[in-house]
Amino acid sequence: MVMVRKKICWAFFIFFCAFICSMPAADRSYAQSTQINLKKCLKCHPALGKEIASKDAHAPFKNLQCSSCHNPHASNHKHLVKEQIGKLCTSCHKGKKEKIGKKYSHPPFEEGACLKCHKAHSSKNRKLLVAKSGELCFNCHARKEILSKKHKHDPAKKGKCLTCHGPHTADHEPMLKKSLKQACVSCHSITSNKAKKSHSYYPVQDTKCTSCHNPHASNHGGLIRERSHKPFARKKCTQCHNSAQSKNPLAVKGKGVSVCTACHPSVSEDFRKVNAHVGRGVFCTNCHSPHTSDELHMKKAKETKVCTGCHQDTKGRLRDSKNKHKHPSVMEGKCSDCHRPHGSNFRLFYGADEIATCTGCHKRHASFTHPVGKGAIDPRSKGEITCITCHNLMGSRHDFSLRFNRKKQLCIQCHKGY
Amino acid sequence: MNMFRRGHLVIPFLIFLLVIPATALCAGKGKIKHLTSITKNSETGRLSLLSGLFFDESRNRLYVTDTTNKRILAFDVDFKFVSEFNAGGALGAPTSLARSSKGRLFVAEPAKGKVLFIDIKQKSVRPINFSAVPKANAVYPGNMAVDSADNLYIVDKANQRVLIFDADMRFNRQILVKDGNGLIDVKVGPNGNIYTLDTIDGAIRVFDRRGNLLKRFGKKGKDKGEFNFPVSLAVHPNRMVYVVDQHNHKVLAFNKKGEFVLDFSQLGWREGRLHYPSYIYINKAGKIFVVDRGNSRVSIFE
Repeated sequence: MVMVRKKICWAFFIFFCAFICSMPAADRSYAQSTQINLKKCLKCHPALGKEIASKDAHAPFKNLQCSSCHNPHASNHKHLVKEQIGKLCTSCHKGKKEKIGKKYSHPPFEEGACLKCHKAHSSKNRKLLVAKSGELCFNCHARKEILSKKHKHDPAKKGKCLTCHGPHTADHEPMLKKSLKQACVSCHSITSNKAKKSHSYYPVQDTKCTSCHNPHASNHGGLIRERSHKPFARKKCTQCHNSAQSKNPLAVKGKGVSVCTACHPSVSEDFRKVNAHVGRGVFCTNCHSPHTSDELHMKKAKETKVCTGCHQDTKGRLRDSKNKHKHPSVMEGKCSDCHRPHGSNFRLFYGADEIATCTGCHKRHASFTHPVGKGAIDPRSKGEITCITCHNLMGSRHDFSLRFNRKKQLCIQCHKGY
Repeated sequence: MNMFRRGHLVIPFLIFLLVIPATALCAGKGKIKHLTSITKNSETGRLSLLSGLFFDESRNRLYVTDTTNKRILAFDVDFKFVSEFNAGGALGAPTSLARSSKGRLFVAEPAKGKVLFIDIKQKSVRPINFSAVPKANAVYPGNMAVDSADNLYIVDKANQRVLIFDADMRFNRQILVKDGNGLIDVKVGPNGNIYTLDTIDGAIRVFDRRGNLLKRFGKKGKDKGEFNFPVSLAVHPNRMVYVVDQHNHKVLAFNKKGEFVLDFSQLGWREGRLHYPSYIYINKAGKIFVVDRGNSRVSIFE
């Protein structure tokens, strides 16, 4: 009986060892089968063969694991990838997923458009980037603004954008790794005698450096922005501020907006309207820079950026890729082509009534169009038909920024009989 | 046993029959219906930029400012046109309006930086004296409200504050909405609390009569119950707060704790829908008046 038990134990032991030994062989055969699959892939995609040899090829690609990203048979996504690109990437690159909690996101990262910056299989550049890091950024950002200027900030000149900016997410605007102040003072002293003198001994340590300096490039020394407010250019700081030696040197003279209207009296008239962009304190500085600017009319930033700073919902609409058809002025960020930034007696801050605002440019439509204005009544609202009854100029999915498909849906809103 | 088994099925079925209609009724309670709309007609003529609205409880009259046409329109309790009024040509571009229990009419003229005080009985039109108001930017009067003691509350958009004048038109005090951004509307609740709305930060603030901040709620965002571009608020007699979201073409309602309850209407041109609405007012009977500026009409809900 004991002998039989021993035999059973030995048989079990031998079987167990044989099973363990067979496992790598099985694994090998799986790997071999994957290689065979890749060979199958290469039959139709021969260019990929060269890419596999690349030093920095994407690990799953290099390891012949095509099916970790692609479904060889069918998919709802382009190139037979298993998931939407963003989701597919973050399923492995979880570190990037964690970055979602940060306050600001690079739009391609937010939209899951990883392939705007990275290649999927291989690249000559680090981190599978589609171009060298500086070149890559310049594909979308500020190439002209930086390269055409006389003076350039060293990191920008060398294309080392990531010295200051984060590529995916950041806690500070505009995609800065550190706060604006920290980003500057980590390299530049503002307490040195030279810095104090150049700021006319005003305590600027808590101010925003980029309100006067362009962080990338400028035609002026010290990277001072292109346009300067006259008192600033003449170093007549006391025209608006208390003296540098006073108790509160950065405070402005006078009450509220009077510091601006004292020299720009005609602007006050612009605000005496039914709708006005008025606000607390020196509200002119909500949109205009009082010292230097790269933009017309000393605007703080490009017009769209200034406007969407408050009109966040409009920013969302402008970015919505579904709304392909937009008015050219919207595309070019020229809000003030139609809207009056200071004040207006018309709704939505238009410069004139809705029809006159449009026919100011679209002159032919003033005489030849679907009836609009007096006598042309929208049967739905009983109000007058205007251009924006049918067009949504801020963005639409339909041709000519129409609110509905013009082939039928648009017309039958009112012309029921058809 | 069979009976018992049958009962086992019948009881839940009966509960189902009882519960479903009850839930439906409760849901119906929160539903807002469109009653009617005031649109242009042969009596009113063309309506232009509609701005303010006030319902006079004592006279059962609805007043609406037709800004670009420089007039105030009056409608009866059935929303039929009664008359129009331009204070003998004194109105320039009237926006907000309010009326005291003594029949005094207050009309904001932001383009002139004035609030006119119209005494219809005495046929006089005078601007309210702002000389006692603490100096800052020139007053830019926005929306207004009157409380039960005839105190007048004026939004001063150029200084992010509410100016309060007593029943004798003397400046009484101000409430600074310090941490706000884009103060646009003020209303007084049934208990005398003061409600303000800021467009840019999308916040509703509730102050007591002394101006102490009691509560802050509401925020901008894309989720349900969040605002795109809130421009006006009103307090229901049941203390629910209704907010017009101009760019979402909706009205959102919050309970007295500030929790989102419901929203109604959507972008559209047909009756009951809204196109860039600009102002909201609720009378004591709970009727909700929305100035539907894009459609040049007043939509009335209940």
